[in-house]
Amino acid sequence: MSSSGTDTLHTQSPHAEEIPPSQVIPHLLEELGDHHELNIAFTTADVLPIILYDDGGWHFYQNVHAMEEAGAYRLVKGHVVRTSDGRAPALDLSVTNLVVFQWIGMLLVIGLFFLAGRRYRRAPLAPPRGIQNALEAVVVYIRDEVVRPNLRSERLVRAFMPYFVGLFCFILVLNLLGLLPGMHTATGSIGTTAALAITAFLVINGLAIREVGIKGWLHHLLGGAPVYLAPIMVPIEILGLFTKPFALTVRLFANMSAGHIILLSLVGLIFYFRSIFVAPMSIGFSIFIYLLETLVCFLQAYIFTILTAVFVGLALGDHADDHHGHAVSAS
Amino acid sequence: MDGYGLAWLAAGIGCGITVLGVGNGIGRLAAAALEAGARQPEAAGDVRTTMIIGAALIEGVALFALVVCIFLALKG
Repeated sequence: MSSSGTDTLHTQSPHAEEIPPSQVIPHLLEELGDHHELNIAFTTADVLPIILYDDGGWHFYQNVHAMEEAGAYRLVKGHVVRTSDGRAPALDLSVTNLVVFQWIGMLLVIGLFFLAGRRYRRAPLAPPRGIQNALEAVVVYIRDEVVRPNLRSERLVRAFMPYFVGLFCFILVLNLLGLLPGMHTATGSIGTTAALAITAFLVINGLAIREVGIKGWLHHLLGGAPVYLAPIMVPIEILGLFTKPFALTVRLFANMSAGHIILLSLVGLIFYFRSIFVAPMSIGFSIFIYLLETLVCFLQAYIFTILTAVFVGLALGDHADDHHGHAVSAS
Repeated sequence: MDGYGLAWLAAGIGCGITVLGVGNGIGRLAAAALEAGARQPEAAGDVRTTMIIGAALIEGVALFALVVCIFLALKG
């Protein structure tokens, strides 16, 4: 559900009417996750297509209603299951609510950069104005503080600036979208953050293999230790390859959903005690947490980007920074 | 107390211990970074970047522990 707890409690979910009191909190936590119905600005619309791969064939349905009419699959607690045995289909590639929010985020990022870029093309030497200033500050900061210190070679910086700027802006826009009332946080779902981290994993290792060669990449798995330590170092480094994207995934997901859960708990206190006198305390703390969440939105987008850049730098094997690099990569 | 109760208890206690450890770790890190920044203000930018990376890695370890706690809690 949306970021602020107040909105969550006023959801017009189709099943919201008869929930036993003990199930209210689990139900609201479920609302924070992904849905097959589009839920935007407090209205639910059953317009998103269902795409399933099961029993060696593709199944397409116009929306949840059409799927339940057809009878082979139905929705239980927000998940598509087979009607026959209640198990999930092999592959659920449906366009869900959070997918739509990611599209909104992409459109916003592309639109803003298109606007700024058009002005640069029209008047390349004119001083930047308005949106140009804001985006230029972001791009220059990412280049000078995040990408350049880690990638070192100017050729790689030029080649990978679009990736890092895109990563930062996409995560930031998704995070901030979740703070608007009636909107959802796409980065508060582990699927989104896992996809971002898998992309980062491919960039880190793909770039390392391309730049230092497969031999250099394998040698890096030794972690700078002598060859006879390989039985210990290689498993640790291989584990490290996978813990890095896993930590990226969980960090962003946990940070974005933790704030929402705290807001939910604070506002929930009013309803739990059934007293209006709890409200000033709850609202005050909620505003504080909300502002803190705004900070966390920027911070987590920055941390995801800088950690990806640092991991790319480590995988490239920067020899000037050898000691520091291996101390970090082994942890 | 049945198995579920024990799992929830373990999740709660584990969560608390995790937070103790990570709070201690990040607190020391921030204190050291502040001291370094006060002593050498011109190096504050570099120190801040390194501090954020270190904090993120400490946080990563804490998140692994919290994932274990979440699995224990979801057992119920």
